[in-house]
Amino acid sequence: MTKPKVGFYGLTGCAGCQLSVLFSEDEIVSVLGLIDIVSFPFIREKNIDQHFDICIVEGLVADKHDLETLKKLRENSSILVAIGACAHTGNVPAYRHYTLKENYQHLLYEKKEGIQDIDPTPLDSWVKVDYTIPGCPPDKREIMNFIKALLLGKEPLTYSSPVCVECRRNNNLCLLEEGKLCLGPITRGGCNSVCTNGSFECWGCRGQTDDANIPAFVALLQEKGFKREEILKRMREFVGLKLPESTMVFFNGNNNA
Amino acid sequence: MATYTVRKLDLRSLLQKIMQSSELIAPVKTDLVRFQVVEDPHDICLTEQSFYPVKEFIFRKHEVLVSFNGKKVITPVLEPKERVIFGLRRCDLNAIMHQDKALIEVDVNYRAQRQNLTLIGYHCNEAPSQYCFCGTLELKDFYDMMFFDRGDEFIVDVATENGSRIIGKYPEFFRKSNHKVTEADKKIKNADRLFKTDISKLYDHPDWQKGVDKCLSCAACTSLCPTCYCFEIKDEVSIHDTKKVDRVREWSSCQLKGFSRVAGNHVFRDNRKERFKHRIYHQLDYFKKRYGINMCVGCGRCITACPTRIDFVDIINGMK
Amino acid sequence: MQEAVLENKYVPKPAKIKEYHRESPDNFSITLDIKFKHDPGQFVQISIPGIGESPISICSYSGENLRLNIREVGNVTKALGKMKKGDPVFIRGPYGRGYPMQLLKGNDVVIIGGGCGVAPLRGIIEYIEHHRQDYGKVYLFLGFRSPDDILFKREMDHWKIKYNLNLSVDQLPPGTCFDGKVEFITKLVEATQLTNQNKVVFLCGPPKMMDIASGILMKKGFHEDQIFVSAERLMYCAEGICCHCMIHEKFCCKDGPVFRYDELKGYKND
Repeated sequence: MTKPKVGFYGLTGCAGCQLSVLFSEDEIVSVLGLIDIVSFPFIREKNIDQHFDICIVEGLVADKHDLETLKKLRENSSILVAIGACAHTGNVPAYRHYTLKENYQHLLYEKKEGIQDIDPTPLDSWVKVDYTIPGCPPDKREIMNFIKALLLGKEPLTYSSPVCVECRRNNNLCLLEEGKLCLGPITRGGCNSVCTNGSFECWGCRGQTDDANIPAFVALLQEKGFKREEILKRMREFVGLKLPESTMVFFNGNNNA
Repeated sequence: MATYTVRKLDLRSLLQKIMQSSELIAPVKTDLVRFQVVEDPHDICLTEQSFYPVKEFIFRKHEVLVSFNGKKVITPVLEPKERVIFGLRRCDLNAIMHQDKALIEVDVNYRAQRQNLTLIGYHCNEAPSQYCFCGTLELKDFYDMMFFDRGDEFIVDVATENGSRIIGKYPEFFRKSNHKVTEADKKIKNADRLFKTDISKLYDHPDWQKGVDKCLSCAACTSLCPTCYCFEIKDEVSIHDTKKVDRVREWSSCQLKGFSRVAGNHVFRDNRKERFKHRIYHQLDYFKKRYGINMCVGCGRCITACPTRIDFVDIINGMK
Repeated sequence: MQEAVLENKYVPKPAKIKEYHRESPDNFSITLDIKFKHDPGQFVQISIPGIGESPISICSYSGENLRLNIREVGNVTKALGKMKKGDPVFIRGPYGRGYPMQLLKGNDVVIIGGGCGVAPLRGIIEYIEHHRQDYGKVYLFLGFRSPDDILFKREMDHWKIKYNLNLSVDQLPPGTCFDGKVEFITKLVEATQLTNQNKVVFLCGPPKMMDIASGILMKKGFHEDQIFVSAERLMYCAEGICCHCMIHEKFCCKDGPVFRYDELKGYKND
């Protein structure tokens, strides 16, 4: 079996997703036996970027340079994978879409550094994305499972159950009961409930499940004393531009409830 | 078989002794009460119902069913160790009995977990939670030993050889008693809450919607249910050697959409209402049709743990 | 209760692909080098380590080399589709309740199948071939999406001679040749003069097609207990414990996959 040629790249982002790949200490050496990492600019100088069987891209498009890089990577890749919440949803940077420009205009690098700003957008706003590994940062087991699935010719599993499933399986105390604004019930899991295991409430970085009961969930949070604006803000924070239409309609539809 | 008494102040010493030859599992209180392997008998909590059930110690969350190394099939060797579970409520014990009915004659892994296992109950005098409803569910006596709390002492009913063995091993803690355990001893106050135990004709009742509207499909109910035993099977490939594969079982939940999704993406129970009703009906109707007994044991954990507190007992009681 | 030895039911038997035949662009048949007794309509769990297991109905006759007809829809079936003669697979089974052929002796047989639903029905045809004297007339109604999708083309000529064969395709793409009807198979069922006298019906196909076909049969005076359907569900254990295949209280893997129509009445969507 010839090893697939794989590239790891980062656009605008914190490099945390690339670190997640590297932090899989126990597996990474074995992974190198299965794939041929031809390019990984984050950790090494010499890279070959002519052709990738699989190209795994972190971060989002926030300036002209990002866009050019992304388009070139797409052209050179058989399979393009968006890794992490930025590449997947736009994540926190995309929150800019929900505020007025005058609130942040003075902060833009444009004037200072000559960077040509683009409104922060996830990868699939610009190019075709074949697969997505969600999360901020993604779970390292999921990264390994993804690589294994592609190698075995399997369709990589997209985890569709809510975070609560893993959180309960980890025998945690429910943070909603603690009065925390936890988005576990409406957020797709696969993260092994890493945040709630440490008593930190879920902020929904992996995106909403396709089965979220938003009216019931918002009613519950309101009963617990949270305001609608607060709930919507939390829901938007990490899912960036991927908040489902139905959720938007719910919040816009009856503002006075 | 026989009845004994144990002084309450001797309980910890007894358990300490048991721990010397067996693994001891009992409800332990930290932020919540959970069944855990006991390190210090002082941690054991008998004043509350355990939030998480004992299920995971018998029906494991993740278990290798069979392994492969290339074309070679490897059957896992199961070596059950001596274990004692203490502090099981009547509902917890019946839950084990119900899982036995479904699994013990079929599933070799489950059966191994049930071997060398001694079940010691702690009987409720009163419902430990406001959501308990075991009273009308006709629970059975299913234990090796049962501890009835009588203030300064326990009355201990020994029902099996397994139970007698403990008496024989630690006779210094047990005093023979003439007390005969009666129905009055087994009565649990404030646990009669479900007044309709036959729901077979209520499937199309509009009131189910009350529960469905509040259901987040988060599957807390099935995770915390001491009887729910649904599982899925998947292949885990070693990254270090892709020829090595474990075919594993993991818990799953009928409340999730993916539960009935077949290749090609058709979901048979796509609708939240059908999924919600499926759980209740499996618990209070379907299981009975197959095994002659309700699966549900009335522990109320699915209500205690439900973020929106869907009380299906109230919903059923209210159905005209 | 705990001393008796229980075998591990998840351990599969190794088998090899003896013959591979592509039936249509997304469907193929494989014959394996293992044989065992089974009823028509029963199924096996076929697996490839690392990819997973998949339940597939048996379409060969009991005791002959196991033959399976498979549509490539999921991970396992797609991986099997890429295999060739001599490749290893793993099998456990047979599982489930098949068609009660013994009890139905003396009847005329009406077989209505759509798409890959024809696969388990082929098992019945094989069974009747071996017990021809036990059954009366045999009517086959087999529908496919297009001429390309027709399964068992090798067998079809033979069936045409021996039985009353009605073959249809839903659509005829421009430039293709086909000498059967271009219509939903249910239309052909509707157009026949069949009465319910001494007949049993075996029905398998997409849920919607089964709904329509059974509706038509009821109108023609067939009783619910004359119709047998084969159900499809997600299955893992095939032993009646994992609960994924439940249709109300029925376990598709144990009580089915073959059900008499009245056994599932009103359960279609749950």
